[in-house]
Amino acid sequence: MFDYTYLPSPNLLPSLVEMMLKIIFICTMNMAVFAPVLGWVERKQSALMQDRIGANRAEIFGFTVFGLLHVATDALKLLFKEDFIPRGADRPLHYLAPFIAVVPALVAFAVIPFGGKYMLWGHEANLVIADLNVGMLYIFAVASLSTYGAVIGGWASNNSWSLLGGLRVGAQMLSYEVAMGLTLVGVFMVYGSLQLTTIGMAQENFFHWGIFLQPLGFILFITCALAENKRTPFDIPEAESELIAGYFTEYSGLKFAMFWMSEFLEMVTISAVLVALFFGGWQIPFISHQGLIDAMGHLFGPNFGAIVAMLIHVVVFWVKVISWIVILMLIRWSLPRFRFDQVMRLGWKIVLPLALANIVVTGFILLAVR
Amino acid sequence: MAANYKKVNRGVKLTLWERLYVMEVVRGVTITARHFFRNWVSTFRSYVSGNPAERGIMTIYYPEEKPVVPEAYRGRPMLVRAMDGKEKCVACGLCEVACPAKCISIVGAMRPDGTRYPETYTLDGAVCIFCGLCEEACPEEAIVMTHNYEGLVEYDRRLMLYDKEALLVPEDKLKGRLDYIRRRMYNKCNY
Repeated sequence: MFDYTYLPSPNLLPSLVEMMLKIIFICTMNMAVFAPVLGWVERKQSALMQDRIGANRAEIFGFTVFGLLHVATDALKLLFKEDFIPRGADRPLHYLAPFIAVVPALVAFAVIPFGGKYMLWGHEANLVIADLNVGMLYIFAVASLSTYGAVIGGWASNNSWSLLGGLRVGAQMLSYEVAMGLTLVGVFMVYGSLQLTTIGMAQENFFHWGIFLQPLGFILFITCALAENKRTPFDIPEAESELIAGYFTEYSGLKFAMFWMSEFLEMVTISAVLVALFFGGWQIPFISHQGLIDAMGHLFGPNFGAIVAMLIHVVVFWVKVISWIVILMLIRWSLPRFRFDQVMRLGWKIVLPLALANIVVTGFILLAVR
Repeated sequence: MAANYKKVNRGVKLTLWERLYVMEVVRGVTITARHFFRNWVSTFRSYVSGNPAERGIMTIYYPEEKPVVPEAYRGRPMLVRAMDGKEKCVACGLCEVACPAKCISIVGAMRPDGTRYPETYTLDGAVCIFCGLCEEACPEEAIVMTHNYEGLVEYDRRLMLYDKEALLVPEDKLKGRLDYIRRRMYNKCNY
């Protein structure tokens, strides 16, 4: 049986407009806001954490805008840089790898709700691009695709460092993919759904947020998510002191930029999943979803009230996501890199058994409560 | 396999709490986060007030902001021109002798009123090691190390061969340094 609920409703034009607006919003947020700005955030944040000032020299007419212009200069530099392909490289695959890396990071956002459902002039707007009933499975599927980008990039470069990096990506991703799926089973058991909008609505009560119902699952998931993101405590695939840059050693210009961007977009996606599953999605603590819409409806009338409530919810969601990005960056700039054997041991001997135990304990508690 | 490796004792024994790792990660992240937020606030505050001292970060935006050097800082050596326009230097040659790098060469002469003055005073800036021994040796407070640390390097060594006219600075511009020298001498005599 195929569930058609996520397809546009028969009232086609408003649905089409809504769909286009949502896609444009998410694409702009990710490609135009987060991907470049995170490069700046990473530089500045790491600088401040280490008592430095950070990038601040790029300027236009004397304005440096706190170093934000470095993002533009970076983009320009990467645009005009020679697109180098090493001799003996597998050219088609070398071209393909960055695309395979960047697309899943962006596409995974399709099922993450950045707001609830709102009635606007008789049309129900649902602030998620595709309200799949298998939401989280889709994210797992797409996220594991991004592994191919790194592995293919490492293999196609005809370089020993790249190949080693690619191999490490393969091993690390496979190990943590398993654990990541299992850590979230507890969440699905508690909320009884894989659909992220349903999970979001179920977290209307502050004390029903995933962090309170699944604390162990949260810690395990964030570990796995960091490992999937290939950033510092788990950055052995691109360990610069061992493998130059790992799987993207031989990439330059815009193809390098795409690997770089995919890393940041993955971070945004991970933060969004964390927020959607464990931190109440778009919900504000102690204010119910319908309650805010009604309150705003009293103030601004039913339609504009719904729009104001929608904007508040969207802002709340992005504030949560940005806080998580900051925390992930704090972790990235605080911890030293794990050794390869430590990564494997953590994945298979600690996270996986704990995730299984979490499932069993959650099951017993659910049995006892119901 | 097991016999072939030697276990290194690093002298670190982790407790169970530390081996759990999660809380230790939180502890570490708290430290970096504290630095992050503290520097964030202080940077913002200094941006608003325009006072670089409030930034709380050691870094200095160099060409725009100059570091405040300590009083004892030894920069470019300079000759003192007294308020009446004459050199204070009496060409005694003590600085020439004291200089370990032998960068000073003096030819002395006598004025009609019987006071001595340096006819030529050459200081090779490419050889000078900024030790300040000439300043200590000078009985007349005629050569002092200033706080000037800029423009000490040229593309041609011949340009760094400073003559008397290049070295002479009016006394009132060197007041701070001369005060410091007198204070230091006073302290030395009374310790």
